Amino acid sequence: MELIDYMEAYNMLKRRGIRAIDAKYVGSSDEAIRFSGGEPIVLKVISQKAMHKTKSGLVALGLEKPDEIKSSFSDLYRKAQKIKPYRILAQKMVKNGIEIIIGGNTDKQFGKFVLLGLGGIYVETFKDFAMRSCPINEYDARSMVEQLRSKKIIAPDGKSERLLVDLLLKVSKFFMSEESITELDLNPVILHDDTYSAVDLRLIR
Amino acid sequence: MNLERMMHPKSVAIIGASSNPDKVGHIILQNYIDVGFSGKLYPVNINAEGDILGIKSYKRINDIKNAVDLAVIAVPAATVPSVLEECGRAGVKSAVVVSGGFAEVGEIRLEEELAGVAKKYSMPVLGPNCLGIMDPRARIDTLFLPTFKLDKPSIGGVSFVSQSGAVGSTILDLISHEGFGLARFISYGNATVIDEVDILNYLADDDDTKVIIFYLEGAKRGRDFIEIAKRTTLKKPVVIIKGGKTEEGAKAAQSHTASLAGSYQTYEAIFRQFGFTIANDLDELLFFGKIFDTQPLCRGNRIAIITNGGGTGVLATDGLYENGLQVAKLSSQSNAALRKAMPPIVNIRLPMDMAGDADDKRFNAALDIISNDPGVDAIMAIALFQTPGADSRVAASLIHYGTSMKKPMVVVSPGGSYTEVHKRMMESSGVPVYDSPETAAKALKALIDYSNYIDNAKRLYGSGKEHK
Repeated sequence: MELIDYMEAYNMLKRRGIRAIDAKYVGSSDEAIRFSGGEPIVLKVISQKAMHKTKSGLVALGLEKPDEIKSSFSDLYRKAQKIKPYRILAQKMVKNGIEIIIGGNTDKQFGKFVLLGLGGIYVETFKDFAMRSCPINEYDARSMVEQLRSKKIIAPDGKSERLLVDLLLKVSKFFMSEESITELDLNPVILHDDTYSAVDLRLIR
Repeated sequence: MNLERMMHPKSVAIIGASSNPDKVGHIILQNYIDVGFSGKLYPVNINAEGDILGIKSYKRINDIKNAVDLAVIAVPAATVPSVLEECGRAGVKSAVVVSGGFAEVGEIRLEEELAGVAKKYSMPVLGPNCLGIMDPRARIDTLFLPTFKLDKPSIGGVSFVSQSGAVGSTILDLISHEGFGLARFISYGNATVIDEVDILNYLADDDDTKVIIFYLEGAKRGRDFIEIAKRTTLKKPVVIIKGGKTEEGAKAAQSHTASLAGSYQTYEAIFRQFGFTIANDLDELLFFGKIFDTQPLCRGNRIAIITNGGGTGVLATDGLYENGLQVAKLSSQSNAALRKAMPPIVNIRLPMDMAGDADDKRFNAALDIISNDPGVDAIMAIALFQTPGADSRVAASLIHYGTSMKKPMVVVSPGGSYTEVHKRMMESSGVPVYDSPETAAKALKALIDYSNYIDNAKRLYGSGKEHK
């Protein structure tokens, strides 16, 4: 099992109309400052050896001023020496919103599944999610949203439900067309301003 | 795999039949005699001399000159492959192996041997380690459970499939008290040759089967299972309970998704997606089975509650909303008609409490008006037989409306032996009765969910449109 490089995953999904938040590998703090362009950014260490970035302190959030970016970059650089090879990813910050998880998994017997759930810190606590076998159709996607206890939070109106249904259909299509990919995690996806941004991506083959 | 011959045999050999009442083969033969099987019976036992239970016996299967449609094999596991081989050579059309002692106790090679013989003769084989088949219509009973220990269900439209023999016999015993009849019972054990896909495939096209209730521990052929699930639920409801819910996948989780998507979750997703009705316990298997067996599909969630006890009506309302259903609103015509028909103490609104002295006339009037209201999708009638007004005439009223109107109806009647008598009257007439408004609400919810599913499924792939 191999985790696909972040930017490769980012581009694969982008080509299929699945948007993740703007991101770029940065090799220096200057590069990170240029990427920020005055907007708040996130810096993350990406390494096969660090699956849970937040827990290991390999993420710095809400960096806006050049000084902040500079010091966080050197801090992450120092920590990352233990988990070589690594790269440092800069991402634009997303506004606050509702966090959901969209995923894909492969079952030995039944094949590929897609999953939708209330995300962020609530995933493990509430375990509020819906799964369907791929490929899914419109009815399946809708019934996934309907099934969630948190339906009123993540899809309070027809428009937001439509957004989720379309995203689920795209993810199912992508997952089915990429035969070698066995697991997929868009976690979290943040719903804000009538749109969504995938903040973290994980494709495993 | 064609199961027709196994399900409707004209001649049955019982291998391992015995005069000794302690032997499984004795009980099976005795059961066949007791249920009045009309085909030919051939007791087979290597040590047999003369008759067994008054029927001419044979030492070996190939001593029987006539064709044998089904061999029921109840001999020690180690000898099963060679017995099956003899059956194959003798041209036996199908076999049920009730003997245990195969893969379930680690004897994997023995089971593979059995599978090899079945394959060689293209013989459908049920089991091993199973109870086999019961069919009250065709008078078939391969169960090795003594008749007096198990209440046997009457003839009906529910087919019950169970991987486990123990769950199978328990549920069969309980079914006979739930007032619905059995089409077929199939216990398939280790699923070595005939598996859940073959069985669903058979039952999907079986005209005697209106509803399938299923105890499943695991499906062997994942994608085929999905296809057959899709095909079957387009034709009839399947209520399913999965054993082994809490079993944790041993796989180390690489992602959040993988850690959430455990084995039960996977099954549950398949069940939901392809229109199975999920039962969370054995009680629900029966509760859902009986509403599907007798009631028409339900295209909406507006439920009219009428009751002869106020508090139970309140609980019923809670039950509806907890299950995503709602209390119906009556039209002004219905309200006016009810106002005329009911005494002044009755408040005309749903849930409608017709008071403790409500008799059959009050029930009749209410059901007549409400069943014709276009704003009502289904009726929950609460009849508390402890009240002064309720007697057999109330049960007769509920039977009349429950079986003649086009909308589904469920009855709630909790109580002791007086209630039990009336519950039986109603259930045997085809009106499902529940002990609590909560379970009645759950059953209605299951009916409505399946109705929604089938409407969508027919639109999506009933017309030959591919599921993409």
